[in-house]
Amino acid sequence: MTSRQPRTPSAPLFGLLFAAAAAATVIPGTVVAQEVREPTEILPRGDVQQVNDPAEILRRVDANLTFSTAWTRARMTIHYRAGDVRTLEFESWASGETRSFLEFTAPARDAGSRFLRLEGVMWYYLPRVGKSVRIQGHMLRQGLMGSDFSLGDATENPRLVEAYDAVVEADSTLDGRPVRVLYLTARTDDVSYASRRAWVDTERWVPLREERYARGGRLLVSVALGDVRQVAGRWYPFRVEMDNALQTDTRTVLETVELRLDLDVPERYFTLRHLEGGS
Amino acid sequence: MSEPLKDPVVARPPLLGLAWRNTLRNVRRTLLTGSAVVVAAAAVIFMLSYTRGIIANVEDAYALTESGHARITGEGYLDRQRFMPLYLNVPGLGELLPSLRSHPAVAEALPRIRSAVLASNDEMNIGALSMGVDFAREEGYLDPQRMLGEGQLPRPGRAEAMLGAGLAGKLGLAPGDSLTILGQTAWRSFGGLRVEVTGTARSGVAYLDASLILLPLDQAQLLADLPDAATEVLLFARDKEQRDELASLISLDRPIPERLEVRSWRQEGTLLGLMDVARAAWGFFLVILMAMAGLIIVNTMLMAVLERTRELGMLAAMGLRRGSLIRLVVTEGLIIGLLGSAIGAVLGTGVALWVGAVGIDISAAMEGTEFPMGSVIYPDWHWTQVAVAAGLGVATGALAALYPALRAVKLAPAEALRR
Repeated sequence: MTSRQPRTPSAPLFGLLFAAAAAATVIPGTVVAQEVREPTEILPRGDVQQVNDPAEILRRVDANLTFSTAWTRARMTIHYRAGDVRTLEFESWASGETRSFLEFTAPARDAGSRFLRLEGVMWYYLPRVGKSVRIQGHMLRQGLMGSDFSLGDATENPRLVEAYDAVVEADSTLDGRPVRVLYLTARTDDVSYASRRAWVDTERWVPLREERYARGGRLLVSVALGDVRQVAGRWYPFRVEMDNALQTDTRTVLETVELRLDLDVPERYFTLRHLEGGS
Repeated sequence: MSEPLKDPVVARPPLLGLAWRNTLRNVRRTLLTGSAVVVAAAAVIFMLSYTRGIIANVEDAYALTESGHARITGEGYLDRQRFMPLYLNVPGLGELLPSLRSHPAVAEALPRIRSAVLASNDEMNIGALSMGVDFAREEGYLDPQRMLGEGQLPRPGRAEAMLGAGLAGKLGLAPGDSLTILGQTAWRSFGGLRVEVTGTARSGVAYLDASLILLPLDQAQLLADLPDAATEVLLFARDKEQRDELASLISLDRPIPERLEVRSWRQEGTLLGLMDVARAAWGFFLVILMAMAGLIIVNTMLMAVLERTRELGMLAAMGLRRGSLIRLVVTEGLIIGLLGSAIGAVLGTGVALWVGAVGIDISAAMEGTEFPMGSVIYPDWHWTQVAVAAGLGVATGALAALYPALRAVKLAPAEALRR
């Protein structure tokens, strides 16, 4: 059974693992079957100076990086300082802010590993065990399949404008792009990062770099976003490189191979039965 | 001119014989004095052997479960070992182990995979310590067969596990039941394994019984995604005297592959370092114990000699020289000290050997602790303990007699006789 998902805006893609579909690189020509929707306003360079309100900047970022439903095929490459490289591939389905499903397809030893996120609760299916396990507590601090993306990042998906207060720190350029540096402070304690610093492209309203901090000001995560392309009227960072300061011997690059937005995602995808291999 | 009258006793008193007769003359007094020496010597021997047993217990438990006499790990593993990082591991076991086992100083090289896991019975999850071991080679070391409470050992190549009895009890699992183990892989992915519980373990180490899951090495390798690798290789010395230098010998004779390190159990710091501190503290305690035992002897001997002041004064009045008098009393002290020490040594040795055979069960006191210590203490008797106790008994007996003897000879014979 399939059902049309309501057009509720989903989480900001930036920083969400399960929304990796939109936060990863889209290889040109692979975006298929996406519905046409109202394009986000692309501001000309001359308009940059007119957007001084940091909340408005966050709204524009959120507008670019949110969607109602998405399907993606992505590649996650973990680079180990010792020289090893491990590449995993997965497909994910996401609907709204609270539901997503992800299945690893390669390499063979990880194929069939599945994650389900429902209303902030995460489940993991281990093919070798043949059952699903609820992931909670300290396990959420672990990286997804050993990557620099934590499972906590995956279960938490605040819209930036709702979760953070922002101030503009500076205007600058990054990799030749004009950026505005925002410092974000969490409004509540229930988000993973007490503060963030984001370098937001002031022409495309996509962060190009971000640093995320713990309450004491310690740097937890550095994120670099690149290969920003326009898809279905939005700007997306199709390549995300994450460096988790708590996991010092790795860095992870996430690339989208194929992306579909605003499509019909069957409801059954977001059930424990489907997670455990039922139809 | 007639020759002066010579009293054979006064001229050359047969001190040893006289002293022996004196000790037998008042059997009750001798028994009282001697019993103090017996008790003190026996107590010292038992306490020394008990202390040695505690230290041996901790060191053995630590070596067998944690460190070996030397340990090969991934570089940096030991600094992070409380996190049990699987990504820092020892690869290439197929080549490494035969090379290590062929070293003349190595009795055994044991690969183990240690990881923090969740043990699940489908209703609840409990944090546990998973240890993948080579069951056949662990005999005499971790000794799974000796630990086996009920059921049987897991078999290599089978998805089977042996659970600490406490952990099995908490999860309500018995041999034949299924257990889900959730953990991490060496790549930091989630790993999982569904196994059959084949047996329960009573290791004697409280925290292990409460948390241990023993798996065949190949199953732990599967769980951790560590083919032909382990998180550590424990090395045990063939000769007890080479335990401390085993790491140096291996480093010299067997080139350790890059990104691996070998460390002596003495370098592992915390616990064994703590044992050195404890050894010093126990030494101080034993000195106090021996001082107390000595005081008991002194006190008893003092009373016994002081009550003989009149008798000693009489001997002095009869012409016994001061030096001879002192030697006589000290010899009596020596005789009592020797006899008491001999009996105390036999008694203390007997008790130490008997308790050393049956052990002292401290499992109730150790329950819930994470200290790697066997739950039964076996006092460890050694002949040096007899030497210490005997030396204490003899020396204290003689010295304790010296003071009252000196005091008695200082008195004028007439005054001594009045007392």
